[in-house]
Amino acid sequence: MPKPEEFLPLKTNWFHILLSLAGDDQHGYGIMQEVLDRTGGKVRLWPATLYGTLKRLIEAGLIEESGDRPARELDDARRRYYRLTRLGRRVLDAESVRLQELVRILQVKRGLEAL
Amino acid sequence: MKIKSIVLRIYRRLALAFPHEFQMVYGADVIQLGEDAIDDIWARRGVFGLLRLLADIALRLPIEYLSEMRRDLAYALRTLGKSRGFAAVGIISLGLGIGVASLSASEFLNLIFRDAPGVRDASRLVMEMGTSYPYFERFRGQHDLFDGAAAYQGPVPFNVSLNSSHGSAVNTRAERVFGHVVSPEYFSVIGARAVRGRTFDPQIDKPGSAPVVFISDRFWRNHMDADPDAVGRTIHVNGQAASIVGIGPRDFLGVVPVRPAEIFVPTTSPVAMVPELAGDVLHRSGAKMFQVVFRLAPDVNPKSAEAGLETVTRHLDEESLDPARYAKGRRVTLLPGGEMVPIPREALPLELGIALLLNGLIVGLACVNLANMQLARASARRREVAIRLSVGASRFRLVRQLLTESVLLACLGGFAGILLAYAAAAGLQKVRLPVAFPINVDVTPDWRVLLFAFAVSLTSGIGFGLIPALASTRNALASTLKEGASTQLRGYRRFGLRNLLMASQVGASLMLLLITGFLIIGFQKSNQVETAFNPLTMSLISLDPVRDGYSAEKAALLFDSLPERLKRAPGVLKIALAEAPPFGPLIANSTVTAPSGPGTPDQVAQKVGRQAVGAGYFAALSVNMIEGREFDERDQRIDALKTKLLPVVLNETAAHEFFGNHDPLGQRLLDASLAYEVVGMVKDLSAPMSSTDTGADIANRFPTLYVPLTRNDFAHSPAGGMIVMVRAAGGADTLDGIRQEIASIDPNLVMFNVRTLSEQIDQTTFLIHVVTIFYGAIGSFGLILAAIGLAGVTAYSIARRRKEIGIRMALGARQGQVLRLIMREGGTLVIVGSLFGFLGAFGASRMLGAMSSVFGPAFAAGSRDPRLIVGAPLLLAGLAMLACYVPARRSAKVDPLMALREE
Repeated sequence: MPKPEEFLPLKTNWFHILLSLAGDDQHGYGIMQEVLDRTGGKVRLWPATLYGTLKRLIEAGLIEESGDRPARELDDARRRYYRLTRLGRRVLDAESVRLQELVRILQVKRGLEAL
Repeated sequence: MKIKSIVLRIYRRLALAFPHEFQMVYGADVIQLGEDAIDDIWARRGVFGLLRLLADIALRLPIEYLSEMRRDLAYALRTLGKSRGFAAVGIISLGLGIGVASLSASEFLNLIFRDAPGVRDASRLVMEMGTSYPYFERFRGQHDLFDGAAAYQGPVPFNVSLNSSHGSAVNTRAERVFGHVVSPEYFSVIGARAVRGRTFDPQIDKPGSAPVVFISDRFWRNHMDADPDAVGRTIHVNGQAASIVGIGPRDFLGVVPVRPAEIFVPTTSPVAMVPELAGDVLHRSGAKMFQVVFRLAPDVNPKSAEAGLETVTRHLDEESLDPARYAKGRRVTLLPGGEMVPIPREALPLELGIALLLNGLIVGLACVNLANMQLARASARRREVAIRLSVGASRFRLVRQLLTESVLLACLGGFAGILLAYAAAAGLQKVRLPVAFPINVDVTPDWRVLLFAFAVSLTSGIGFGLIPALASTRNALASTLKEGASTQLRGYRRFGLRNLLMASQVGASLMLLLITGFLIIGFQKSNQVETAFNPLTMSLISLDPVRDGYSAEKAALLFDSLPERLKRAPGVLKIALAEAPPFGPLIANSTVTAPSGPGTPDQVAQKVGRQAVGAGYFAALSVNMIEGREFDERDQRIDALKTKLLPVVLNETAAHEFFGNHDPLGQRLLDASLAYEVVGMVKDLSAPMSSTDTGADIANRFPTLYVPLTRNDFAHSPAGGMIVMVRAAGGADTLDGIRQEIASIDPNLVMFNVRTLSEQIDQTTFLIHVVTIFYGAIGSFGLILAAIGLAGVTAYSIARRRKEIGIRMALGARQGQVLRLIMREGGTLVIVGSLFGFLGAFGASRMLGAMSSVFGPAFAAGSRDPRLIVGAPLLLAGLAMLACYVPARRSAKVDPLMALREE
């Protein structure tokens, strides 16, 4: 299995999709909506780009198609659901550690300036 | 909303255009998502959002295709890596083919279809080679035909030295450079301008004005260190001071750059500076030593200019009583001017035709061969293909996959080919041609050649890949997977694709082998040099006293006494002088008339070779006179301008051409300026690489006149200097003695170009050797390819028929019978292919031979050679049968039980 660090820093699209799948399994439309909501409508994953990225994430082994279906009344039979793989989850963790580290460095610098 | 539905319709259309695999998995989802999101997009972003939606999918399309291509490429690299033998054969054979084709494309682009650098509107320039100055002056007046005309003589050697710095009296060492003697309108007619200073001008540069020189950019850089104050500096040309008036544009090397001119001096220069102008050549209509370049008037095409010039020339011939006036046929042949190499336009289709035929055969052969190997490989990959088809890969996808592989292979081959072409071009530049003046042959491939090689690679990659790819994906799924396939027993298909390919390959290889064989044997036969003595025992030394500062009279005196002086050197047997090295190429451009009695038409021969030789020339070469005498010292003292009758020695071909079976001795001949009396006859001497003045090669036997070297010849030595032939006793080292003798005559006399006759002959025939090796390599390359192809096909056919063979053997067939069965099929292919190859080779060589004076004699000499006619097919058939036999023997080892159990 490849090391999570090999994927860092994550491309924006990849990060947004992984982040959307961090909770429940999602279908394409769901991912698009969540990213829109999360960014206040600023980032839209356009359909062809979204599926192109999903394809690459699957090839890279970061996500997979989910066999589980949600409750019947919520299920849209036409749609395919995706979820993180173990590797995907570790990559997401590694990316958030990296981002945290950046934030920390920034804070230290700010703190020094404040002194 | 109407706009939304239009956008959706386009969106769906685009979504359906995704690559097959992507579409299978995500196609429906992409469409679904677009439909779901469109309302939201419209609401939030309006028309801009809809356009963005379309842009997104439109941009994604090529990305997905590229990513599939990348995967195909990676896959293809892996597959080729696994079958290295196949890849190596493919890369080498295509590399050779494409390399040879690229080099020839480069030759056409850089030499034949290229205008001379620094020349304006070159397509409107035409040239006539070999005319006299008075004729040129009349031509210049034909304003209805020409906007302008200029005469020049070149390449002409100059001994050049520069004052090392301003005001200093110290001269640099004299160097021998080549240039043109030009009429003052030269630069304005060809449209070349001066980058610094001025060009020549008929208004300024008149006879008697101060001597001037125009230099090329190359001379300025190589000999003057790009001195910014070069214009106005004094330069010594053949010992005479002249001032530099201008510098030409970069890369400008005169109107025929293949024979580069580094400096230019006007025809108005004093004779002391330009010995070529001695003997009043500017006023003698018989002195046909000038080339004329014309700029055509608007609306005049080269054909009508030629016709017009023909009329003028005939008129002038009558006026000047030129013996050529009796000659039948055209007098004037205009060559295109302002091109790198002036090649008659009529000859171009043929040049192109031969190049296309040979290169096409080579590349085609490599392609057919690879197609065959691909087919054979495809059979091995049948199961892989069938499985991929059955799990849903589209046939298009598989074909593309296979095509990627062959295109990749072809591109690797193309890369190897380009490397080869570069190496060959670099090698060609180092070749010294057997001429006295430098030749500028730069065929280094440029970007156009790279493009060409890439196009050929792509075409051949698709060419040899497509048919096997289609054929191997056509298999019915079920039968292949079951592997009990009924197709296995189909047996021998008489007109199968593979057999057709194979037969055509055998045919093409034989054709290639025969054509190249004809050329090799023909060239060798017509360019052999036979000497009656060991050519190592003769040294050739060049002297050019006029350019070392001698006056014409002093030079004549020097050559008069030189042989006697040199004979004193130890070991020297014989000494003779000549204007060109013996057995060197001649330019056969003289027109000679044998006047007959009243009432009968004169005998006129064109394309006659003419060589000026000194006293004892034939004796020095150990050539016996068949009849009459050869020249002696008295002949060397003749003043050709004053004498009415010059002695001449004919070779056998000339004697026969002019006088048939009559005795030639005492007969008269006329050429453009002189009358001759035949005093002797010798056998034909070899003169390989000879050509007519239009550049066409001629065979070894052509009429040749040997005229005596006279005082007038000593006044200005030819481009290679006057040749002193020193024949020594075997084993003696005479050169030191010769050097001492010459130094004792005059220490300032420069001996240059010292070589043995053997070296001289090697240099002359070097090009023939190169050509021979080149054609030989092409021929054997075809042969090897054919053998590899046959072996591959036989192996393949045996693999396919394992079962059939197993059944046959189970039913009692013996090994020998099975072997015969397989061999018979191979044999049929070889025979059919050979038949077509034979017909093709003879047809093609007849055609080429009839069209070309280059290949005509070679084909005529070569195609009758029994070694080739019997040998080539036997060689090919033998090799082919061997190529069949090796894999066929394996077939006989098929274990019937094993073969049948595979069911």
